[in-house]
Amino acid sequence: MKPDLDLLVPAYVREFEPYIPSKPDSELMKLYGCNRLFRLNNNENPLGPPPGAREVIGRFPPPKGAVYPSGDSYCLRREIAALHNIDPDQILVGNGANEVITFVIKAFCEKGDNIITADKTFAVYEWVATFSGIEARVIPLIREGFDDQAMVEAIDGHTKIIFVCNPNNPTGTYWSKDILTNFLDTVDGKQIVVIDEAYFEFVEAADFPNGMDFIERYPNVVVFRTFSKMYGLAGLRIGYLAGDLNVVDMIRRTCVVYSVNGIAQEAAQAALQDNTNHIQRTRDLIKESKSFLCEELSRMGLSLIVGEGNFLVVRLPGSDTLAYRKLMHEGVMIRPMTGFRYPNHIRITLAQMEAMEAFVSALKKILH
Amino acid sequence: MDMDKTRTLTLGITASAPYMPVATSFVESAAIVFGMKKEEYLRLCLATEEIFLYLSNFVCPGKALEVQCFNGFYYTRVLFRFSAVELNLSGLNIASTITPAREPDLDAMGLLIASRSVDHLDVAAEKNNRICLTITKEKAYPAHSEKLNLPQSAEKISTETPDAERLKYFAGFAAQFCDSAQRPAFLTYPGKLVDMVASGEYNAIVALNTKKETVGGVLFCYRTEKIVQCFGPYCFCKEQENMICETLLEACLSKIARTRALGLLSISGLPESLRHNFEKLGSLRYHEEGKAPVDEFSFYRLLHEDPGFEVWSCGDLTIYLKSEYRRLALAREIRTIRDMGETRSGASLFAAEVHRDRRAVTLRPLWPGNDLAANIERHIRFLRNDGFLNLHFELDLGIPWQAELIPILLNYQFEPGIILPFAGKSDIVIFEYNDET
Repeated sequence: MKPDLDLLVPAYVREFEPYIPSKPDSELMKLYGCNRLFRLNNNENPLGPPPGAREVIGRFPPPKGAVYPSGDSYCLRREIAALHNIDPDQILVGNGANEVITFVIKAFCEKGDNIITADKTFAVYEWVATFSGIEARVIPLIREGFDDQAMVEAIDGHTKIIFVCNPNNPTGTYWSKDILTNFLDTVDGKQIVVIDEAYFEFVEAADFPNGMDFIERYPNVVVFRTFSKMYGLAGLRIGYLAGDLNVVDMIRRTCVVYSVNGIAQEAAQAALQDNTNHIQRTRDLIKESKSFLCEELSRMGLSLIVGEGNFLVVRLPGSDTLAYRKLMHEGVMIRPMTGFRYPNHIRITLAQMEAMEAFVSALKKILH
Repeated sequence: MDMDKTRTLTLGITASAPYMPVATSFVESAAIVFGMKKEEYLRLCLATEEIFLYLSNFVCPGKALEVQCFNGFYYTRVLFRFSAVELNLSGLNIASTITPAREPDLDAMGLLIASRSVDHLDVAAEKNNRICLTITKEKAYPAHSEKLNLPQSAEKISTETPDAERLKYFAGFAAQFCDSAQRPAFLTYPGKLVDMVASGEYNAIVALNTKKETVGGVLFCYRTEKIVQCFGPYCFCKEQENMICETLLEACLSKIARTRALGLLSISGLPESLRHNFEKLGSLRYHEEGKAPVDEFSFYRLLHEDPGFEVWSCGDLTIYLKSEYRRLALAREIRTIRDMGETRSGASLFAAEVHRDRRAVTLRPLWPGNDLAANIERHIRFLRNDGFLNLHFELDLGIPWQAELIPILLNYQFEPGIILPFAGKSDIVIFEYNDET
């Protein structure tokens, strides 16, 4: 007898549409009939991991595949703690930053609670809340940035977490130190404020705040970082959160131990120890490709949303999902933005010049 | 069909003719409670009577039958469910009593007679080998009659989900200012629109100017599990039409961007200025007695990346599919089915969705069989004889056996009209019957 899934599965899970990740490159190339594919859809680092991390990955001894990794990323947490000058127990490492989002929502929210974030931002906060039966209040962006005032107004007695993506994916806008301070003062410790700094290492603006500096003064602050972007370890899935000792102690209760594999832990540690100027080399590449794209796309008469981070957004004269398909046929994969509530916009990862040139050429062809 | 349990009444009964009054009394009582007027519930009862007797005599005699009445606010729906195990379901074909040798026996035309009393009739296969036969009767509403003044200006607008009163204004404006060919008939009835939105099946967003006057609006609903259909956007302030329509479309897309919807479809009322946001799928031709046929164009946009998948085809349709997929830039691996002489058995079953108001029937294959050609021929003859002018046949290209119907449909003067991406297990191709050629 088959189980009655209508009875067994909560409505908020049944009604949730599972995210369908794209097929492997080889399959996509076959389907779209292209012989090479530039991946400009996931904001990956085209330089890959720093040399030290590459070495760790290359020399990982196969017999270690049979041994459980450190269940709580013991050594890596010490490395991260030293970097930020905090206690290792203020850190939780997860299987990508997506997993730590789940930890936080599970730790603080129960039925009837809500979280607050923006409408046009990284979707996973909203997704995890929704399929956990928690209301996600999505506040419209203002001038492409998080609307601090409207977010405060949306808070009620059931609001547990406020997610701020800083800088925001996909707009690249950010809250300055002053705005963040003012916001945290207004919240006054009543809610957990998550500052997602997935793109922190790309930011060069002088007034950009480092969330880690706020933890001591505002113990309700939880900071997310990832190794998927600047450190080029997206394929190994590793990210972390940091916060006040007591807050993290609560989150630890919902944290699945042993979820981070051994290679990822060691590679992440090596990435933090990099002394080859990996971050600067990546920033230089981003700067060059950003400047090239801005010039080319502006010359095409397209309007852009450009901010911090290794990506930019272009408004097209027509459907973004159609552009995705046409660009795929040309061997260029970008991110259509309808799912981010930016219809007719696409997001492009800033990458090596060869890819940027291929994208511009393909875009000219499909818009012609 | 995921129905709100609090709006559903259920009767368990045996499909046996003497129990027929129990079923009709149940439906009558439910329909009265759901607010149907006398003429409406009597017609629903008449259809119930026909269907109950038909099921008792021809389809599942003596078997357990579940009769459900659903309060759709603007309609009452009666659902007849039974297990398909060990039954010959061919009797559920709307044209089942027609044989090449003789004309139909009126006593055995239960399904078609039932369809004459109600607005919609449908048969569908459900999970756990269940079959669901559905009849729907809509309520009658007064038409919009009040003369409304056009809003003055709309330089600055905002969008919101309207309450009942604002919805009525929106319907009134649409009925008064929009060409009837460009809007669905239900917009003529403000009360009906209010109930449609209250039922949860339809969503509405309106645009308001700074004086809080309604300057436009858009409606949308799920047409299939994955496809949202929109009506509009409609604009009542011509000077700012582009801006208002763009804003409403964006609001609609924002509402559905992170839902289970994969695509947005527009069949009527899409303003010229918004067409660059959509892909033109093609058109279906609708016939009306004494009038020239009208081509209804469908516009579509995907909401997410196209992951690409395989579709099943056969014979000449492959050329059409290749050409359409190239035009629409959709990534599809077209696989061709092959007849290797394998044995086919049993009688096929087609679901028939009957829309009397448009004299239209949409057929969908539910069960394969060894009589596909005969079944198609029977349906065409039967439905044409009964005055249906618009016959459509939907094939799901993700279900291999349905591709067996392709050469038969082409042979019986069905032509591929449009492809609806992601509308079924994969894409759906809608064939239209064309006996003019």
